[in-house]
Amino acid sequence: MVSVRLINLCKYFGKVKAVDQLNLEIKDREFVALLGPSGCGKTTTLLMIAGIYKPTKGKIYFDEVDVTNWPPKDRNIGMVFQSYALYPHLSVYDNIAFPLKLKKAPKNVIDKKVKEVAKLLRIDELLDRKPAQLSGGQKQRVALARALAKEPDLFLMDEPLSNLDAKLRVFMRAELKRLQKELGITTIYVTHDQVEAMSMADRIAVLNAGRLQQYGTPDELYSKPSNLFVAGFIGAPPMNFVEGSLVEEPNDYLFVTNEFKLSLGLELGELVKKGMKSSEIILGFRPEHVKILIKPEINTIKAKVYVIEPLGRDIIVNVKIGDKVYKVIAPPDIVLKPGQDIWLKLDMDKIHIFDKKTEKAII
Amino acid sequence: MPLIRRGHEKNADSSSSEATKASRRRKILPFLFLLPMLIFICFSWISPVILTIYLSFTDLSIKNLLKFNVKYTLENFEKIFLVEDPYIPEVLKITVFYVASVLSINVVYALILSVAIAYLVKNEILSMILRLSWLLPRITPGIIYALLWIWFIDPTAGMLNKLLMLAGVPKSWLPSSWLLDKPYAQLLLVIVNGYVGASFGMIIYTAAIKSIPPDLINAALVDGATDFQVVRRVIIPLLKWPILFVTAWQTLSLMASYEYILMIWGAGGGGGYAGVARAAGVMVWSLYSYTKAFAEYQYGYAAAISMVLVVIGIILIMIYFRVFGFRRLMAPSRVEV
Amino acid sequence: MMGVKEKKMKAGRGYILHTILKYIVVILVAIIPLIPIWCMYLWLISQSFSGRVILGIVPSNFTINNWRFLWAPIKMGLKEYPNIWPITINTLFLALGTSGLVVFISTLGGYALSRMEFKGRTTLMEFIIALHAFPAIILLIAMFIILNKLGLYGKGIITLMGIILIKAGLECPMASWIIKGFFDSIPWDIEWAALVDGCSRLTAWRRVILPLILPGVGAIAIFSFLSGWSEFLLVFTYVKDETYYTLPVLIYHLIGEFKFIDWGMLAAIGLFYTIPTLIFFSVSQKVLLRIYVGGVKG
Repeated sequence: MVSVRLINLCKYFGKVKAVDQLNLEIKDREFVALLGPSGCGKTTTLLMIAGIYKPTKGKIYFDEVDVTNWPPKDRNIGMVFQSYALYPHLSVYDNIAFPLKLKKAPKNVIDKKVKEVAKLLRIDELLDRKPAQLSGGQKQRVALARALAKEPDLFLMDEPLSNLDAKLRVFMRAELKRLQKELGITTIYVTHDQVEAMSMADRIAVLNAGRLQQYGTPDELYSKPSNLFVAGFIGAPPMNFVEGSLVEEPNDYLFVTNEFKLSLGLELGELVKKGMKSSEIILGFRPEHVKILIKPEINTIKAKVYVIEPLGRDIIVNVKIGDKVYKVIAPPDIVLKPGQDIWLKLDMDKIHIFDKKTEKAII
Repeated sequence: MPLIRRGHEKNADSSSSEATKASRRRKILPFLFLLPMLIFICFSWISPVILTIYLSFTDLSIKNLLKFNVKYTLENFEKIFLVEDPYIPEVLKITVFYVASVLSINVVYALILSVAIAYLVKNEILSMILRLSWLLPRITPGIIYALLWIWFIDPTAGMLNKLLMLAGVPKSWLPSSWLLDKPYAQLLLVIVNGYVGASFGMIIYTAAIKSIPPDLINAALVDGATDFQVVRRVIIPLLKWPILFVTAWQTLSLMASYEYILMIWGAGGGGGYAGVARAAGVMVWSLYSYTKAFAEYQYGYAAAISMVLVVIGIILIMIYFRVFGFRRLMAPSRVEV
Repeated sequence: MMGVKEKKMKAGRGYILHTILKYIVVILVAIIPLIPIWCMYLWLISQSFSGRVILGIVPSNFTINNWRFLWAPIKMGLKEYPNIWPITINTLFLALGTSGLVVFISTLGGYALSRMEFKGRTTLMEFIIALHAFPAIILLIAMFIILNKLGLYGKGIITLMGIILIKAGLECPMASWIIKGFFDSIPWDIEWAALVDGCSRLTAWRRVILPLILPGVGAIAIFSFLSGWSEFLLVFTYVKDETYYTLPVLIYHLIGEFKFIDWGMLAAIGLFYTIPTLIFFSVSQKVLLRIYVGGVKG
C-alpha cells in the first residue's frame, strides 16, 4: 500500500500541453478518481504514474521515494485498461499468472495465487479459456485478476467500465468499490463519467485541458464547486447558468438580467461585491434546488414551460426564461402544460455565483 | 497476506542512480534493436556504393587485382562520356528502348489488365485465377522462367512458332532464331520482362481499384454510365497516384534489371556470361557493366559504367521524394478520393 | 418519340453490345496473353514425365527416365555433373540461412521502427525506401573485390556463407518494413499491460508482441526462403567450384553447355526445383500477395 504524490507534473507533446503543473496527493488506501472530459489529460497522467510515459517536468513520489524515472516493471502497480488488454495468445490462467511468472515465483505459489484471485473475482471456471471466448464482463474480471495477482501497492484503472453494458456497469461499480475497500489497495481511477466518480471515489480530481480544476470529496465538489467548469461538470442534469450583473440598492443587492431581477439580500450581496473581479457575474443553480410555483410569489423568476421529460421518479421540466432554456427537477405529481407560465423559487442557500471573467466561484 | 516476496527494496538513495541508469537504457535500447539491420544495410548497400565510387576512378582489372597497385584515373569516364568506347552509344540506345518499352507495359498495359481483371470481370473465382496466372512469371524462380522461355522459342521443340502459325502468321515472318535475329530478339527482350513487370502494376492497381468505395461506382452506374464510361471517368482518374508511383518505381527497377536477359541469352546462347547478348543487340547498360567486370575483368571500367546508374537513381529518388512526399510513396495503392 | 418498349429494346441491344465488348477486352487483354504462360507450365509438367511430347503440351510415352538425376549423376554428352542431392542441399542451405537471418534482423529492426522513439526515425524510414535507387549490379562488382580481399572468394562453403550474408542484407530493408506493418497493428495497451506486469521492453517484445505477429513472421520467413531458393546471380558470379553450385546455377549450365538439349530431363530438374515455390505459394498466397508489392526486382 502506498501513497502517491504528483509534484508540478507536466507532459508536453510538442506544443500541446497534455498535462500542465499538476499537483496531487493521494493517501494510502484511498480511492481517487481522475475525472474530466476527453482529452483533459487524465489518461496521460495515469500513464505517467504507471511509468509508461516519462513526464516532461515534475516528479512522482510513491511514499517518500522518487519514482519519476523508474520503468513500469519496478513500480509494483496493477493496471486495468479500457480495452482490458488481455494477451490473446494466452489462456485466462496464463494471463493472470503472467506477472507472477515474470517475478520468477515458484510454480506452486503461482498456482495458489491464481486460483485465489480467480475465486475472488468469480472466474475460477474460466481458467482454461482464451480471451476471445469471453464476454466483456468476464474479460474485465480477468484483467482485474491479472492486476491483483501480483499484489500491487497501487491500482490504476483507465475507464475500465466504459465498454460494459449499462446494467453490468452499475453492478461492477459497486463491486469495484467493495473490492477496493476490502483489499485496501490505493487506487487511482480515470473516468469521464461523473456519476461513476461520485459514487465510487473517496476524493475526485477534476481535470480540464491538462489542468487541475478542483480536488475534493464528492460532496465538496457538489456543494462547493470552485469554478464554473466543476460546477457544470458535476451533477446530472447539470447546473443552470445565467449571466447578469450586480446592482447595489440602499438595502439590498440585486442580481439583474434582461429578463428578471433576483434579490440576494445584504449578507450575500456584500460577499459577492467583495469577491467580484469584473462587473459581470454568473448565477448558478442546480435543477434540484428550484421549486416550481404556479402562482407568483416575491423574489421568484417568471418562466414559461417549454418541454416536459417524465422520468418516473422525477420530472425534468425544461423552462424558458427569455429565449434561453433551463432545466428544473420537479416532483412526479406536478401537473404542467407546455407554454404555461410558472414561477421559479430558488433555494437561496444553495445558489452559486461565479465571476464571469475568472470563472471562479465567489459563492 | 503477501505470498510473493518483494524483490525490490525501496529506499530514497537508490533513486537517482536508478534514474540515470534507466534513462541511459531507454536511449540505447532502440539502437540495440536496430543494430543488426543497420550493420547489414551498411554491408550490402552502403559499402558497395562507396567502393564502386572508388573503383570507378581506378584502372583495376585482372592484371593488377592480386597486388592491387591501381592507378587513379578519369579514363573510365572518358570512355563513357567522350565515347572513347565505341559500343557505349549502342548500349545506351538499347537501354532506352528497353526501359521505355517495358515501362509502357508495366504502367499502361498493367492498368488495362487490372481494370479488366479487377473490374470488368465480376466473377471472383475467375478474377483470382487470372491474377494468380499473371503472377506466375514473377514468383517462378528466374532460371525456370528463363528455361521455359528458352523452350518456348525453340524452333523445333518449342511452341511459339507453332502457335503463331496457328494464329495465321506466315512462316516467312518467323525468325530462325528468336534469340539472335533482330528485331525478334528485341521483341523477345521486351516481352519476357514485360510479363514479369506487368504483375507489379497489376498488384498495385488492383489493390487501388478494390479500395475505391463501391458507392462511387454505383452512383455512376445509376446515373447511366456503362462499364467503359465508369472506367474512363471514375476509376482511372482515381488511380492517378498509383500510376505515377508505378512509373517512378519501375523506372528505377528497369534501369537496374538484367538478370533475365543474362539467363536467357546466356543459357540459351551457350552458357558463360551471355556473350551473344552483344550480337543479339540486347546488351542493356547494367548487363554491359556486368560483362565488363566478369567476362572481361575490367573492374574499374565496369564500376564507372554502373556509377552512371547510381547517379541517375539517386537523382530520380530525390525527385520522387519531392514530388510524392514520403507518405504517398508508402501507400501507393490507397486511392486519394 | 420512342415508346417505352422501343426504348427498352434499344437499351437491351446496347447492353448486349457492351457485354460483348467487355468480354472481348477481357479475353484480348487478360486471357490470350496468358496462353504462352499456361503452355509453358503445362509443358514443364508433362515434359518431365514424357519421353516425347506431342503438340508441346500433351504428354506421351510416360517415363520416369527423366527423373534419373534423383539417383544417378547427371551425364550430358561427355560431361558429368555432381549428384543432384548435394546441390539441393547447398540450395537449401542458402535458402534457410537467408530466411533465418532475415527473420532475426527484421523482427528486431521492424519493432524499433514501429514502436520506439529515437532520433532520425523518419530519416531512417525514408532512407530504407530510397535504397531502391541503388542498382543491384554495383553490389556484384564491389562485393567481388571485397570477397577477394578478404580471401573469401572461391572458397566453397565460406563463399556460400558470404552469399547468405549479402542476401540477408539485401532482403532486410523490405522485410523490416513489412514486419513493421505487422507490429503497427498491435494495440499499444497490450504492450503497456506487459510493461506494467513486469516486462522490460525486450521481454515484452519476446513474450507478448512477437507471438502475436507470428503470421507476419511466417510470411517473411517464407518470402526470404523463396528468395534465397531462387537466388542465381550471386552464386553464379562467385561460386566457381561445381560442388558448391546451387540448383539455379546447375540448371543454367545444363541448358547452356550442350548442343542437343535433353528437354525431358531439363523439365524434370526444373519441376523438381520449382516444387517448393509452388507449394509455399499455394499455401500462403494471400499473405505473399501482400508482400510481393514491394519486395521483388523488376
